[in-house]
Amino acid sequence: MRMFGKRWSYFGRWAAAMVGGCGLLLAGAQNDNANSGNNVSQAGPGMTTDIPGALPGIHMVSPVPDGQWTQPAGDYANTRYSPLNQITNQNVQNLHVVGTMSDGIPHGQEGQPLVVNNTLYWVTPFPNKLLAYDLTKPGFPLKWAFDPHPDNRSEGIACCDVVNRGAAYAGGKILYNTLDDHTVAVDATTGKLDWETTIGSIKYGETITMAPLVVKGIVYTGISGGELGVRGRLTALDLNTGKILWRAWSTGSDADVRIDAQTKNFYAADQGKDLGITTWNPGQWKMGGGTIWGWISYDPELNLIFYGTGNPGVWNPDMRPGANKWSCAIFARDPKTGYAKWIYQIEPHDGWDYDSIMENIAVDMPWHGKQRKLLLHPGRTGFMYVLDRTTGQVLSDDPFVPVNWATGYNLKTGQPEVVADKVPHTGQYAMDICPSSTGGKDYIPSSFDPQTGLLYIPAHNTCMDYEGMSVNYIAGTPYLGASVRMYPGPGGYQGELVAWDVEHQKEVWGIKDPLFPVYSGVLSTGGGVVFYGTMEGWFRAVDARTGKILWQFKTGSGIIGDPITFTANGKQYVAIFSGIGGWMGASALPTVTPDDPYATLGANGAMRNIKAYSAPGDTMYVFAL
Amino acid sequence: MRVRFALLFTGLIACALGCNGSGPAVAAGASPAVPTNVGPVPGASAPPAEIANPYGNDPVATMDGRRLFLWYNCYGCHGGHAGGGMGPSLRKKDFLFGHHDDQIFDSIAEGRSEGMPAWGTKIPSDQIWQLVAYIQSLRTPQEPDPPTEPANEQVPNPENNNRIAIGTQSAHQEK
Repeated sequence: MRMFGKRWSYFGRWAAAMVGGCGLLLAGAQNDNANSGNNVSQAGPGMTTDIPGALPGIHMVSPVPDGQWTQPAGDYANTRYSPLNQITNQNVQNLHVVGTMSDGIPHGQEGQPLVVNNTLYWVTPFPNKLLAYDLTKPGFPLKWAFDPHPDNRSEGIACCDVVNRGAAYAGGKILYNTLDDHTVAVDATTGKLDWETTIGSIKYGETITMAPLVVKGIVYTGISGGELGVRGRLTALDLNTGKILWRAWSTGSDADVRIDAQTKNFYAADQGKDLGITTWNPGQWKMGGGTIWGWISYDPELNLIFYGTGNPGVWNPDMRPGANKWSCAIFARDPKTGYAKWIYQIEPHDGWDYDSIMENIAVDMPWHGKQRKLLLHPGRTGFMYVLDRTTGQVLSDDPFVPVNWATGYNLKTGQPEVVADKVPHTGQYAMDICPSSTGGKDYIPSSFDPQTGLLYIPAHNTCMDYEGMSVNYIAGTPYLGASVRMYPGPGGYQGELVAWDVEHQKEVWGIKDPLFPVYSGVLSTGGGVVFYGTMEGWFRAVDARTGKILWQFKTGSGIIGDPITFTANGKQYVAIFSGIGGWMGASALPTVTPDDPYATLGANGAMRNIKAYSAPGDTMYVFAL
Repeated sequence: MRVRFALLFTGLIACALGCNGSGPAVAAGASPAVPTNVGPVPGASAPPAEIANPYGNDPVATMDGRRLFLWYNCYGCHGGHAGGGMGPSLRKKDFLFGHHDDQIFDSIAEGRSEGMPAWGTKIPSDQIWQLVAYIQSLRTPQEPDPPTEPANEQVPNPENNNRIAIGTQSAHQEK
């Protein structure tokens, strides 16, 4: 395997170096390999399994991007690590802008672009256009733009700005989701629609914001709308036809959830029949949430996909007695059949909107003297969960931000030890809950660096007061039942880039942001440089080992997107979206006013100063030495 | 159009939800009699007169409007105290479709293209007028239950204990 990996990586580097001269020729050759998506444990063009400088014992379970960026997280394991090393901690101060592109949209730009065959692909916020830029020409001119014409009523159905978190590439197609519940496949060369499949309805409050993942010819996508009583599910589509192959619901019967005799849940609390029905008041599972809107990861060696589910339907916990399975849970599923290998509910009976949709990073590494197959899940709960991804057992849970809703976890039962007076009830405020609903971090993805063994977590330090209210379910409208107001947490800062030593379970260094949460994804690279951005708009290069800020550049708007790196003509580039918005960044939009701390689902209380620092408008910045 | 609202009002539950308020009685014919203009009216003639809220700024009506704002889940989109979110803030008066009483009435009743639901077939017109009264009271001394800063409100809000439990939970998506 490794040998194959090396061979392909050399091909990839050669291809990347040569493509400028003969792009068309190579495009065909690369399509044959990158497309089928079937040889996922081997590195395709622009990917490699060769990780120079990796710490002993650290094994990356899937090839990492080495020139291209074909998956939302770069690789299947969601490490967001690239071994590209032309840009290093010695020369990064020479980075400068070599290209900017604008989509003209004043809404939050989450996610990341793709780079395939010397073309850079950008999925915009609503109206979800796909823009393709030519990386072989100076200034990266637009090749074409694809417009899916989504229903504009979906704009008012999406909970947290009209965002989109990007696309995936496979089989010569760019796959992505539109806000009005379509998955589209667009020909990567021509920009023409290949197929389009409807997988939800705004009538029931459903929208889609996440990036799909493609494994072995199957496209996986979730659904958003946890604030509108949507019933979450993972939908699997045929890459070639767009036909729906199966759905795996987050609530309901074992058949609906795709639980069978092979499903082995580690903890007793997660064992039993039809828990997706019996842990709810009768019928409530039908609007029970558990939506899927974050990242899907894949381990080609275990042949499992991993993802988490969102909050249970209706925020007020008093209105839904029970554990409310399978909201706030992590699923490991067989990618072909969709049946669950294991499920672990991180947080039964959620009372704080702590969606568990964060990235699940698959890495093999030493853990307390033994080589383990780990799953790293920095939770919205504020706890850094390390799981054994073969079984779903929790190995550790350590707070990476101020946390007070629970004192910790009982690792024998897998259950949190909840602090009673931090649980909101109907008509009663629970005060000073940390973290807030927006989490110790939100969906914004962290990055694992095999050279340092550190996980770089974009963290928030925001707390809240939370009151439960009664609510009527009216399909297509918010199903909240909560009055929430947030504010910066203790310590005089609101965000931090946390460098977390996975094996030793502790923060090694951090860069605090006095103003705002760190709401940008993180990229780690072979040059010993970590990239991330701030909501004020600074794009930063940081020394991976020391946390020293080596370089920074002020972009035009706040950064809530995820950096990527790639090569064109043999030269390394770094790209980042700048464009404030999203849930916490919505306070920067003109449609939100600062005098209501309860606005934007309570986040406005913590974010209302942002208008003075960041104005909306999306631009992509491309940097090079 | 207006006839339909009027029929709804007289034919349907006048007190479907939280009918604590009294306020001036709104006759069926009190809805705007002519369509409300959003854009400018061409030609030199004077535009039709605005139709004012029959409740005016009656404090009971604004309080009822506040309660309805919570009941109909308006706060989920427009923010706990209408400062914005999924839908725009209503705390400033530069509304895209006009800030006069009848224009706000129409925005609620007819819905708007970027996701504002058309409530006209679901909410009796007198309740829509109460919502209009609440919206017009925002940022004025008459605003009921104005937003409080986090440090101020440390005690349970007894008003919430009066709310009934789960109302209608019509199921959707059997599979």
